[in-house]
Amino acid sequence: MDRDVISDSSVVATDPAFVADATVTVGDVSVWFGQKVALSEVSCSFGPGVTGLLGPNGAGKTTLMRAVCGLLPVNQGDVRVLGADPRTDRPVHLQLGLVPEEDAVPEALTARQLVRYTARLRNIDDEAAVTGALARVDLLDAADRAVGDFSKGMRQRAKIAAALVADPTVLVLDEPLNGADPVQRVSLISLFTSLGAEGRTVIVSSHVLHEVERLASRIIVVLNGRLAAAGGHRAIRDAMADRPRRVVVRADASRRLAAHLVGLDVVTGVSVEDDTVTISTSNAGALALALPGLSIEHGCGLREVRPLDESLEAVFRELIR
Amino acid sequence: MTALQTSSARLMAMVFYVPRACLPAKRRRILAIPIGAALLFGALAHAVRGGRAEAFADVADAGLFGLVLPLGTLIIGDAVLGAEVRSGALPFTWLSPVRLWEIIVARWLGGWLISLCTLVPACTAAALIAGVPEAMAAITLAVAAGSAALIATFVLIGSTTRRAAVWSLGAVLLGERLLGAAIAGVAGVSPSWVARSVYGSYGPAAEALERAGIPSGGAAVGRLVVLTTVALALATWRLGSLRLTGSRD
Repeated sequence: MDRDVISDSSVVATDPAFVADATVTVGDVSVWFGQKVALSEVSCSFGPGVTGLLGPNGAGKTTLMRAVCGLLPVNQGDVRVLGADPRTDRPVHLQLGLVPEEDAVPEALTARQLVRYTARLRNIDDEAAVTGALARVDLLDAADRAVGDFSKGMRQRAKIAAALVADPTVLVLDEPLNGADPVQRVSLISLFTSLGAEGRTVIVSSHVLHEVERLASRIIVVLNGRLAAAGGHRAIRDAMADRPRRVVVRADASRRLAAHLVGLDVVTGVSVEDDTVTISTSNAGALALALPGLSIEHGCGLREVRPLDESLEAVFRELIR
Repeated sequence: MTALQTSSARLMAMVFYVPRACLPAKRRRILAIPIGAALLFGALAHAVRGGRAEAFADVADAGLFGLVLPLGTLIIGDAVLGAEVRSGALPFTWLSPVRLWEIIVARWLGGWLISLCTLVPACTAAALIAGVPEAMAAITLAVAAGSAALIATFVLIGSTTRRAAVWSLGAVLLGERLLGAAIAGVAGVSPSWVARSVYGSYGPAAEALERAGIPSGGAAVGRLVVLTTVALALATWRLGSLRLTGSRD
C-alpha cells in the first residue's frame, strides 16, 4: 500500500490499521537483513494517543520502531514522521523520542548527565528541564548515580527521562516496562497514558497483551514481520477469544462430564484420561460460560479449568490464519 | 542564541561526552598498557648501543610508531564510535537534530583529545626517559599528528562495520605493518608510517626513519591532515547509511 492509498480517506475510515490524524505513517515498508525478512510490506499509521504494538519476541516490533525513528533504512516503502523522512531529515528528531529496548546505556554517566546530554543535543540548556524529566520518572533520588550501577528498571526510567526531556511530539517506547517492578509499572503506565492524553503520539511495544491493554486504546499486532491485526483492544481480544483452542478440565466424574460436553455446539473434540478431560473448542468464552452449569447439573465436581495453549505465540498464530 | 553558538554548544557537549562515556574503566585499564609500554620503550633506549639520539630513534621506530601509536589509537578510536555502535548506545546521539558530520567530528575530536592527554605525553616522556630531551618536540608533533589521522581512520571503520575492532586490528597488522612495510604506496597513506617520517624529519639523528616515497617534514604533516580530513568525510558518508540495530542483532 503506497502513500497515496494511506492518504485516501476511505481507506483510513475503513482500515483499523490507519488513523485519520496520523503523525507517523508507515507505507508498504519492508526491511530485510540478508536472507531474513524482518518486516514485510507493513502499512499502518499512528496518531495522537497511545498505540500498543503487540507481538511475540522476534515479530518485527523493534525493527518497525527503529525504522520509524530512522535508525534503520527501509529496503522498500516509506516512513514519514510529521511529514518528514526520519532517516534523512534530521531536524524532525527534535520532535522524536526513543526509548530503546536495548540495555545499552553509557554506563559511566550519571542519570542526570545522560539526560543533560540528550537535552544539549536538542538545544535545551535548561537545568529545570533536566530535573523535570528525572522527576517525571521518579528518578531524582538516584539522579547522580552512575547508570551502570542501576537496576534494569532504573535504567529504563533513565532512558525514558532522556527521551522526555525534549518534550517530543512522537514518543517511541520499545518494551519500556521490561525490568520495572509492579509499583514502577503502575507509575509508568500512568505516565504513558497521560503523555498520550496530552496529545502526543506514543507508540509502545510489548509482548504482553494485558500490559498493552492497560496502556493503549488502539493496538497493532505484528507477527513474523507482517501486520496481523489492528484495532481497539476489545476487537483484538474478541478475535483472540473466538479462535479454536484447547482447555483442560479436571473433574471428579470426568467421563460423565465428557459425555455431556460432546453435546455442546462449541465443543469440537473431547478426550479423557483419568480425571482429566481435554476439550477442543471453537469458542472458549461460550465454553467457559457453559461449563459450570453443566458440571452442577450432572454432578461432575469441577476441580480445575485451564487453557492448554495460551502462549501469546499460539494466540498470534491463530490470529493471522 | 545564534546558529553558530547552538552548533558549538552541541559540538562541545558531544566532545566532552566522549571521555566521560566512551572510556569505561575497563577500556581505561587497557589504554594504560600502551602508555606504560611507551615509558618502558623510553627506558629501553638506554640498553641500545650507540648515541642516545640514535638509540631513541631506533626505539621510536619499532616501539612507539610500530606498536604504541597504532594500538593505543585503536583502543581510543574504537571506543569513540565502533564500541557504541556495537553496544547499541549510539542512538542516544544519533537520534538528535545534530548533523552527521558534527557527530563524526565530535567523536574524532573527543578521541584525539584523549590521545593528546594520554599517548602523546607518554611518548614525550619516553624521549625524556631515554635522555633525549631535544627529541621531545619532534616526537610530540609526530605522535599528535599521527594519532589524529589514525583515530579518524578508526572512526571511519567504526562507521562502516559493526565488527570495527576486528577490522581496525586487521588494518593495523595487515595494512600498516605488513603491506606498509613492503609497499611504499601503502605506507604513503598509512598514518603511522607518515608519522614516522615526521619524526624522521624533525627528530635528532632520526634520518633513518624517513623513507623514499613518503613525504617528509611539513609535507608529511600535511599528508596526515589530508588523511584525517578524507577519513572523516568518508565516515560521515558511511554513518548516513549505517544500520543501527541492537547489540543482539
